[in-house]
Amino acid sequence: MSYHQAEYDEPLLNQFKSGSTYRVDSGHDPADLGIPKEIVRGNLNLPDVAEYDVVRHFTRLSQMNFGVDVGFYPLGSCTMKFNPKFADQITSSHAFRDSHPLAPEEYVQGNLRVVYELQEYLKELSDMDFVSVQPLAGAHGEFSAILVARKYFEDTNQPERTEVVIPDSAHGTNPASAAMGGFRVVEIPSDSEGKVNLKALEAALSEKTAVFMITNPNTLGIFDDQIEKIAEMVHNVGAVLYYDGANFNAILGRTSPGLMGFDIVHFNLHKTFATPHGGGGPGAGPIAVKSKFRDYLPVPIVGLKDGKYFLDFSAKKSIGRVSGTIGSFGVLLRAWSYIRYHGADGLKENSSIAVLNTNYLKKKIEGKYEVPFYRLKKHEFVLSTSNTGRRAADVAKYVLDHGMHPPTVYFPMLVHESMMIEPTESVSRQDLDRYAGILMEALDESPEELKNRPVNTPVTRIDEVKAARDLKVRW
Amino acid sequence: MLPGEGVGSLVPNHAVKTKIFSFGLSQFVPRQDEVNSMIDFLGLHSLDDLFSEIPSSVRKKNTMIHGKNSEYAVIRDAENTASLNAFDGYTSFLGSGYYDRIVPTSVDSIISRSEFITSYTPYQPEVSQGLLQALFEYQSVMSDLTGMDVTNSSMYDGHTALGEAVRMAHGVNGKQRVLVPSNISSTKLSVIGNYAAGINVRIEKYKVSNDTGYIDMDHLGSLMGDDVSAIVTENPNSYGILDPNVSRVHEIKKNALLISYFDPVSLALVRPPGDYGADIAVGEGQQLGIHLSYGGPYLGIFSFKREHMRKAPGRLIGETTDTNGKRAFVMTLQTREQHIRRERATSNICTNQALMAIAALSYLAILGPNGLKGVATSTMENSRKLRSDVVSLVKGSKAPFSGTNFSDVVLRLKMNEEDLAATLRKNKILGGIPLNRILSEPDQNRAHDFVFSVTEKTDQSQIERLVSALEVA
Repeated sequence: MSYHQAEYDEPLLNQFKSGSTYRVDSGHDPADLGIPKEIVRGNLNLPDVAEYDVVRHFTRLSQMNFGVDVGFYPLGSCTMKFNPKFADQITSSHAFRDSHPLAPEEYVQGNLRVVYELQEYLKELSDMDFVSVQPLAGAHGEFSAILVARKYFEDTNQPERTEVVIPDSAHGTNPASAAMGGFRVVEIPSDSEGKVNLKALEAALSEKTAVFMITNPNTLGIFDDQIEKIAEMVHNVGAVLYYDGANFNAILGRTSPGLMGFDIVHFNLHKTFATPHGGGGPGAGPIAVKSKFRDYLPVPIVGLKDGKYFLDFSAKKSIGRVSGTIGSFGVLLRAWSYIRYHGADGLKENSSIAVLNTNYLKKKIEGKYEVPFYRLKKHEFVLSTSNTGRRAADVAKYVLDHGMHPPTVYFPMLVHESMMIEPTESVSRQDLDRYAGILMEALDESPEELKNRPVNTPVTRIDEVKAARDLKVRW
Repeated sequence: MLPGEGVGSLVPNHAVKTKIFSFGLSQFVPRQDEVNSMIDFLGLHSLDDLFSEIPSSVRKKNTMIHGKNSEYAVIRDAENTASLNAFDGYTSFLGSGYYDRIVPTSVDSIISRSEFITSYTPYQPEVSQGLLQALFEYQSVMSDLTGMDVTNSSMYDGHTALGEAVRMAHGVNGKQRVLVPSNISSTKLSVIGNYAAGINVRIEKYKVSNDTGYIDMDHLGSLMGDDVSAIVTENPNSYGILDPNVSRVHEIKKNALLISYFDPVSLALVRPPGDYGADIAVGEGQQLGIHLSYGGPYLGIFSFKREHMRKAPGRLIGETTDTNGKRAFVMTLQTREQHIRRERATSNICTNQALMAIAALSYLAILGPNGLKGVATSTMENSRKLRSDVVSLVKGSKAPFSGTNFSDVVLRLKMNEEDLAATLRKNKILGGIPLNRILSEPDQNRAHDFVFSVTEKTDQSQIERLVSALEVA
């Protein structure tokens, strides 16, 4: 299959001169409105474009964009699975879409039922006790969880707990979230198998430790079978064990953070539960806790009493609000739809197939590329291009020319020239075989030839240094 | 066991029972023979073998969720659930930061494009030029609207944008006091408090006049000192009032940063933050072509002065060229961000609201400057009518603040909260949120103050319906 992305020399929106055609009841004379003269606006310089030109402009732009619906998108740690269209349709229903966030509970029982049931689903899948759906993305969930832990240690009078321990394989958001919460970050190395180095962990843990943040399986796709021991070590020093749920798609129905001994968890609904990633967002990052931390959760959560759903503000030591509303309801509704569709069995099957695809693709390319940490992998695996004499970035550009999306490159940082591949469950064997073929064919090109890739895209290699030097970030 | 029936579930499977025609394991996974051949290829016996390293002590025995449902059943189920929402036929005067505005159908059409909605952060810019150009345009349009130098490519919502602004101000000047208006909402104050939990700042309130609803400049001035990191202003504020004093704050701000929280639609008519010396301007973008959806997804607008760019949170798209000298766009200044800088990043934000930014951009483009002015003008005419009709026709009512309203109108009524709620329910009206429920500092003297909000959608008959409901009560 050959591939050429659409290529337009698309003008910027402010270059269109067709003039707005959209009909608005324009009211009367703004001069009569009583706006204090000190704050009356002068010039309003906005694009003035006919609706048909706006739609054409964005349609053309969309054709210069690669998405899950265009082709295989195994971007590691991002879980780019198929986003079901029925969820889009459900979300666009008037009764959901036009409900106001401040509407009294009695008028929005349907919305509250969705949130309540989603809370129940997440509890059951994770074996945790309470859920707050308020955080608006994975990193926001991490930050909320850090605030919950912080409040807990304040409340239990343990001000000395100022450190958060994080393995070197962690997502960058983990240390960033911990630092935002005012904690000092202590990074520990992985062991030779890519798992938590227990000696390093033991050395790092102390009465100063507030939280140990990990994801399991980790960003190398490795399930850490020492997890019970880790939980024991963390709990023995009185610290909180935090689960970064970015990789939850690997283990649905097989194990859970609750069973593994985690205290606080975040979920990435846009990853595990297939809500569309929207070119970078929106996502949603609910958190779940064991009972001990219930009183610190962001409020409100949704409760059910006498057949009526209600906003529950009863968590007396709550950290309060982490965002303006109950949460990103449209995203929550899509995740609810996805879970209702698949049910327990479907979710488990999806995980199983995602893991099968990962190990299949890994075996296909092993030998050509080095795959460090030889173990069974879960939802993703990491290869290194070091042994090939080629840069990961260059191989990625070769992939672009063949109508599929490259893996995540240069992450995790503990592997040189890394490519992190997460196929998810929504890809055929045919496409996995093709992908393996493309990765191997890339090696038929010399390192110099690869530098000229991509060529089938609207632009060739981009000068990022110039972008950072010029900092032209607007017209 | 019938399809759709689980072994037992915490959540009832209230879906319509339908036969599931199963061509594979499910809609999203391949056929069984393909699965088997892949298992063979790996030298395994079953899918279970893929999870062999999970210790038996932590294996999940069962998941108490119902079984599979068909797409049709899920849609029907969702429709039934939606029908529990009971606001149809009601007239809504709910607002307070989130507004039921007209969303041009083209906006929904644009953000439904598969290539946009199913893509992710443009880590591979060569196949993401469409999204990158759209976000560059968003940054540009929003900078023009706010009168600011630079706008990032989105934050989660207005509240978190405000929280990040307070953190950024501290990152710029390292000072310890943040001054916020006394009438700031409890929700905003809570979010600011959480975002500031990890930095050494103290939040203090300056007074807002009980008569005009304007910033008390004398009191704000008396609080100023060299240790102030940021002054937060709101326009319109929690009283719904457009405040001329926001334009004077920069005169007394010393080394503090001025953080302006704005209403993006109001900026069609109201002087933008960049025009009165704001260092950071933040706002809730929901009104710009984004449906209410009971709380999100929304859009945090985050604009700032160019000199502070390296301290800013969030993604920035920059213009550059490709190897052939052709114009191209790419994420830039990524060294501020968590995936590179980790614990030294300016923020932990990764996933943002890119799709909602495209919604806001296309909304502004479709309306154009005159369309946006029309929306703002109609809104203000409606708020003025609502205010004057209630005050003149409903005995014993008054508008406690003399200042001009934008969308939100505070009305002081004779009746108490319970009676108002009963009256509104009887007349199928939503709104009239007690002001004390919004404010972070409830006030005994405001027990009869209620907030009613309008948009360009509000029509005369709806205002008349409200007035007659209040008249009779």
